[in-house]
Amino acid sequence: MLRVEVHALPQAATLRCIGRIVMGVECEILRCMAEARTEASLILDLAQVRAMDAAGLGLVVELHCKALHRGQALHIVGASRPVCTLMALTCLHSVLDVSGCEEAELDSDDKGLRFAGRYMTA
Amino acid sequence: MQARSQTAEQQRISKEFAFPGDVDSLASSRQALMDFLAPYCAGEAEELDIFIALQEALANAVLHGCQNDASKTIQCRVEIDPSALLITVRDPGPGFDSGMATESTEAGTNVSQHGRGICLMRSLMDEVSYRHGGTELQLRKLRAASA
Repeated sequence: MLRVEVHALPQAATLRCIGRIVMGVECEILRCMAEARTEASLILDLAQVRAMDAAGLGLVVELHCKALHRGQALHIVGASRPVCTLMALTCLHSVLDVSGCEEAELDSDDKGLRFAGRYMTA
Repeated sequence: MQARSQTAEQQRISKEFAFPGDVDSLASSRQALMDFLAPYCAGEAEELDIFIALQEALANAVLHGCQNDASKTIQCRVEIDPSALLITVRDPGPGFDSGMATESTEAGTNVSQHGRGICLMRSLMDEVSYRHGGTELQLRKLRAASA
């Protein structure tokens, strides 16, 4: 289940995502809502995203590429700890404009990545 | 829930599932597996690991094994014993070279829209292995007491 709240200003729109960004209707909802925005700056607020899968991560990459193509800027803010960890695991935090994942990055630099009970060397 | 966990610590429990191989059924398939597994997870973080790994396993089975065809069937088996949770996902597809897929997803930053599923499963589970030419996937998560 995913709910997306839109907060629009003349130059920027914030899409606040609440729930899961996973393959299926959730990804389709976010794709449609993001692609409909024409503001110069698009902000994805992922603070209340509880889970994201590979399709969700792929969608964020897709939106990033489309935003570049359209001359928009895509910013990801407030990413929750699980989302930060997934971004670090897949190295997307170094490609996308993500703020608020410093702690997860620190983990990956210092001691490998910890999600639940297992460490993975980055 | 408490009684169920105590029972799992003493004996092996297993259950078979069969799901339609289309995207529309994916969420309910995943939920059925999580409803069975959740009481045996050590906590929310472990439950989330398994949720994401299952999502990837089922998504790959639906997209690559079943070509998003509801008439095809994905077979799953969940086994729980004192040491681990073991999930087997079997699809009717032609299989694939899992070695090549692993290399392509772990070679560095992947900036395409696809190809992260196996990498995520390997990161979140303790063991990920393919058998029968890639048509059967086994996910193993060690239980907290034995990890």
